Amino acid sequence: MNTPLPLGLPPATAFYLCLYLATLVVHLMFMHYVLAGSIYLAFGRLMGRARCQACRWQSILIDWLPFATGLAITAGVGPLLFVQILYGREFATANLLLSHRWMAILPVLIVCFYLLYLQKSAWIARQVWVWRPAVAAIACAGFIFIAWSWTENHLLMLDRAAWPGIYATGSLRYESAGVLPRLAVWCFLAFPSLAIELAWQGRLLGDRLDEPTVADTRLTGLSPVRRLAVTSLSGWAGTLLAAAAYWPAIPVAAREAIIGPPAGPWLTVAVLGLLIQIAAWSVALFSDRLSYIALIVMTAAWVAALLGIAVVRETIRLTAVDLATGGELHKTALGIGGLPVFLLFAVLNAAAIGWSIRLVRRQITSGNGSA
Amino acid sequence: MTPLDHYPAIDLGPLMKGLVIGGLGIFHVFLAQFAIGGGMLLCYLQWRHMRGVCRLARRFTDDYFKLLVLVSFVLGAVTGVAMWFTSIQISPRTIGTMVHEFHWVWATEWTFFCLEVVAGYLFYRYGPRLPDRARLQLLVLYSFASWMSLFWINGILSWQLTPGAWLETRNVWAGFFNPGFLPSLIFRTISAVAIAALAACTLVNAVPGFTREERQSLVAVCARPLAFMLAMPLVGAWYLGTMPADSRGWATGGSVPMTLFLTMAVGSSTLIGLYAVLAILRQRLFVNGATASLLLALAFVATAGGEFVREGVRKPFTIREYLYSNSIARDGVADLRRRGSTADDPYPLRDQADYPSEQLVLGAKVFRAQCSVCHTLDGMNAVAELAATWSIDQRRLNIAQLQRTKPFMPPFAGTPAEVEAIVQLIGWRHAGRPADWAVSDDPAVLAQIERWLDEAGTGPGDARLAVGARLP
Ligand code: HEM
Repeated sequence: MNTPLPLGLPPATAFYLCLYLATLVVHLMFMHYVLAGSIYLAFGRLMGRARCQACRWQSILIDWLPFATGLAITAGVGPLLFVQILYGREFATANLLLSHRWMAILPVLIVCFYLLYLQKSAWIARQVWVWRPAVAAIACAGFIFIAWSWTENHLLMLDRAAWPGIYATGSLRYESAGVLPRLAVWCFLAFPSLAIELAWQGRLLGDRLDEPTVADTRLTGLSPVRRLAVTSLSGWAGTLLAAAAYWPAIPVAAREAIIGPPAGPWLTVAVLGLLIQIAAWSVALFSDRLSYIALIVMTAAWVAALLGIAVVRETIRLTAVDLATGGELHKTALGIGGLPVFLLFAVLNAAAIGWSIRLVRRQITSGNGSA
Repeated sequence: MTPLDHYPAIDLGPLMKGLVIGGLGIFHVFLAQFAIGGGMLLCYLQWRHMRGVCRLARRFTDDYFKLLVLVSFVLGAVTGVAMWFTSIQISPRTIGTMVHEFHWVWATEWTFFCLEVVAGYLFYRYGPRLPDRARLQLLVLYSFASWMSLFWINGILSWQLTPGAWLETRNVWAGFFNPGFLPSLIFRTISAVAIAALAACTLVNAVPGFTREERQSLVAVCARPLAFMLAMPLVGAWYLGTMPADSRGWATGGSVPMTLFLTMAVGSSTLIGLYAVLAILRQRLFVNGATASLLLALAFVATAGGEFVREGVRKPFTIREYLYSNSIARDGVADLRRRGSTADDPYPLRDQADYPSEQLVLGAKVFRAQCSVCHTLDGMNAVAELAATWSIDQRRLNIAQLQRTKPFMPPFAGTPAEVEAIVQLIGWRHAGRPADWAVSDDPAVLAQIERWLDEAGTGPGDARLAVGARLP
């Protein structure tokens, strides 16, 4: 691998890798909202009823987290499909080695999902306040458990030499120096995504983020825009620290690939995206306003950063997995019919999704819908 | 295609792996069909409301949709992912092959799944505030998307039993539009509509705020789609007709459990259909909450029976004529007879130290590779129990000629030494796992096993013969 990814890979592998990365980035966007959103709420709820009620972002999160979870799951199906085409054997082996521990993410996901609905129910509103931090904390712990499981599963995929030994002990755990710092990277990285997503939600729901706050911030301490800026900036700081802790656990060959030709350009894209976001949020923090243009710029930088990070992440895997046998399978997979049908329906269904959102927006904003 | 890929097999203790996937499958299919039928029923209700013939339909639609979201968007979606993960746990090679062969179909299904989630959530969130026309448009989009996801997945699932021309051409569409595709699609659609109608009748009685008359009028409308059940016997017979003769044989007398499951499915559906047509639709009887729940429970039993039959009658294959239930390629048996089924297995046994000889370790590895997907050693369907009364030579013969012993088992895919190893393992467990166990390596015994293996050949047993033998 002496050229930037995905160049240098066999064409079929490169093709599936691009699809995998594109769908993974979408999964990450929603997953970040859920992961960081549930952590944000779990801590936010500890601040007491009055502060929570004054926090615009907490009410948006309470309202939208269930749907976002549905989207995170739905968006997870795409990369789940392509990861099996690319690394079917490794993925299945890690699943099997972690066995019940891995499968536990499903009941946990169901419980968390219902807790999110419970959080916005009329029932909980009638209970004493302590229910709300308790429910938020359990949901948050559940999502962190799920993220941990994905991280562990991913790293186990890469450690082929450890498979027989782990199987022999029947341990259902994969302990390696990389798991915790890598999990920390995911948890912190979710906050910059959350900040941008909440900013968009606020805008679409009619909040004026491009003007300095006039509302009373005595209870919440910071204005909504400043809170988002702090969320993003502290998320980036945490990400960098966690990445620094993770770095020594990455095998040397992978580290060389990350800073060398295969992933170096992508790392640059990620760093540029990060810097632009940091700059834009810093301006927002000091001016207490977030202009539409700034939001668009930081969104583009965010997408670029996520893509860059996704490729860097993949580089670590590509240095660990033998693609020689896989490459043949990818070639035969690409020879199997059905791609045009997928592309056709992908376009049609994307259009139908866009159309239905427009339909609802038009009806609601034109006042046709009963309020 | 390699004869056998080794994965670190999971151990579910006394539970049969097939039961786990079957159990989860029933749950998921029931929820998914509820969601699919629910969408269609709601379109119908909304349409009647717009024609002015069902005043209450709009309100009930919103109540029903809340249930749909809470049940199917959460449980349905997660159990769908769970099916995928469980399939990996039970048979990574089967699901791997399905993903490989049909990944574009799966990807296409995913685009419909995305549409379903978005349209459904928009309706859930904004539906009560939207004008009727927009509501209907969203509902149609939602139900079309959910039915299309059934359309796509149905092609893949029916291919497992009736791969049709795919076996020769390897053409994805020949596999997708296989002989079982259409009857199974129609059958599932009717089941979906029936489940949704019964759930609606239950819900009508559960939500507060309707008078008895209002409930009665809603039940009368919601139960109408149950009339489609009249077509079930015909479509069911058509579906049975497309099954390979041996598979049909299992379900119609050849295998007692399969026949019982089929009877369960047919019996429950008949009861629901009769009650629906005679009592609800003709005599216009009111269905209260208890009756509706009972009917819904019967529908669950019917789904359970049907799903077990679908999973069971594929034996000895998971993909007919292509991959055996134990993930050994049909074309790979001959090779494994020469090389052995454990030669490339990199995974040690977890309890390796407990075995007094290498032969018994080999036996346990052979069991893990070839038998553990359907059998346990000591729990359900335990090999040691099944072979308890066999003499030692009977064990040798029956295992060497597995596909003749029971035609829903695949042929033994290993060397004579591996047959002997598993025979010894069974004997050792019977003897209470003593600390010493003599190695059995008599060349005459191994030669006899080899003759038996050769005699049975490397193909599946002839199931039709086995079933026919039981007929008068
Ligand atoms: C909301 C709950 C979820 C959370 C918090 C979550 C979190 C994560 C995290 C942290 C990773 C990155 C792992 C790593 O690279 O170390 C990941 C990857 C992934 N997730 Fe999710 N996930 C969730 C739900 C799902 C679901 C339900 C699916 C499947 C439908 C899914 C599919 C995937 C896939 C396919 C990957 C890539 C795995 C790989 O390439 O090794 N996720 N997820």
